[in-house]
Amino acid sequence: MAVAIVNDVLTHYEHMPARPSTGRTAPKVVCVHGLGYDSLASFYLTLAAPLAEAGVDVLTYDLRGHGRSQRPATGYRLGDFVDDLRSLLDMMVGTEPVHLVGNSFGGTIAFSLAVRYPERVRSIVSIESEPATEVWSAKMGRTFRNTVDAMSDEANLAWITETFGSHYARLTRAAAAVIRSTTIVEEVADGPLLDEQALSSIRCPVLAILGGEGFQCDDLGAVEAMLPDCRTEVIDGQNHSVLVERHQLVRKLLLGWLAEHDPVGLLADGARP
Amino acid sequence: MTNSHVPSPAAALGAIRVILIKVLGDYVLDDVEINAEMSLTADLGLESIDLITVGAMLAERYGRRLNLAAFLAEMDIDDVIALTVGTLVEFVVDGLAPGLAAER
Repeated sequence: MAVAIVNDVLTHYEHMPARPSTGRTAPKVVCVHGLGYDSLASFYLTLAAPLAEAGVDVLTYDLRGHGRSQRPATGYRLGDFVDDLRSLLDMMVGTEPVHLVGNSFGGTIAFSLAVRYPERVRSIVSIESEPATEVWSAKMGRTFRNTVDAMSDEANLAWITETFGSHYARLTRAAAAVIRSTTIVEEVADGPLLDEQALSSIRCPVLAILGGEGFQCDDLGAVEAMLPDCRTEVIDGQNHSVLVERHQLVRKLLLGWLAEHDPVGLLADGARP
Repeated sequence: MTNSHVPSPAAALGAIRVILIKVLGDYVLDDVEINAEMSLTADLGLESIDLITVGAMLAERYGRRLNLAAFLAEMDIDDVIALTVGTLVEFVVDGLAPGLAAER
């Protein structure tokens, strides 16, 4: 297991280099997972290997408090997560701009990084995700309150086990552990939030992949209007779990996106959507 | 150690047992022998993130020709959750069979 100290937090990361190398500079993709249930496994076990085989250099990591990364008791404002990503890029990539692929909250981190450090971001692919607006903050607050209420009831865990199986019950317990042992609920939705001016400063191209039945579809229109260069792909009938349930479609969209925006190092076959 | 000769299914099962016991650490079930029918998640309690370690240990044992992440990326999430020890054995044996996978 590869680890690095990132802003005083032991951080688990996985790097899958492009292979075989094309001899040209490989597109660099950094994958950022979501909150609670999520970990770098969502990317590593779905997109990382196919992308690497298409000639892409892939880096993904466990957010603080998640997966195999350290879980400090405090330090869970959105800005802390953005600082972590910036530091990880400094350590692992250097100053070369990267394509950020963010799942759920991971995309929110990507948008905020693009506002603060636009020179570090070549493009953003957000999956069931939205920038940290006032609307996002209110939604996060509601979601967290509902989640905390639900997790305090053992009957719900029994229901999850019976309905979805022990795997999801275990994921729920892991998410509950993060929520109960840290200040994430109090801190994360505080931002800092992005206003219209900040959103319009995101000049890099954005591909937003959404589930038609997901969390973001209703609010994306307003955000899309504020982002100067945003394309949207909606997957009909899909819930929030776009990445894990539709990863082969996401892979096609992502490889097509890279072929369009960073084709030099891609292998021709792998880049074909 | 890296050894990429084709193991028998029984030898692969033995090697996978050793890997799973290392990954499970203190969580390994007492007095239960890991068999091919066991589910990695439901029976052994592996988390999805543990599969990354399993993949790395298989690559260390048998060589980088075995790419568990690439194998799992072709599966639906339900199949990954239902993954059994026996599927891992098949992955190792088939993946190392001559002519079935290119050396990476």
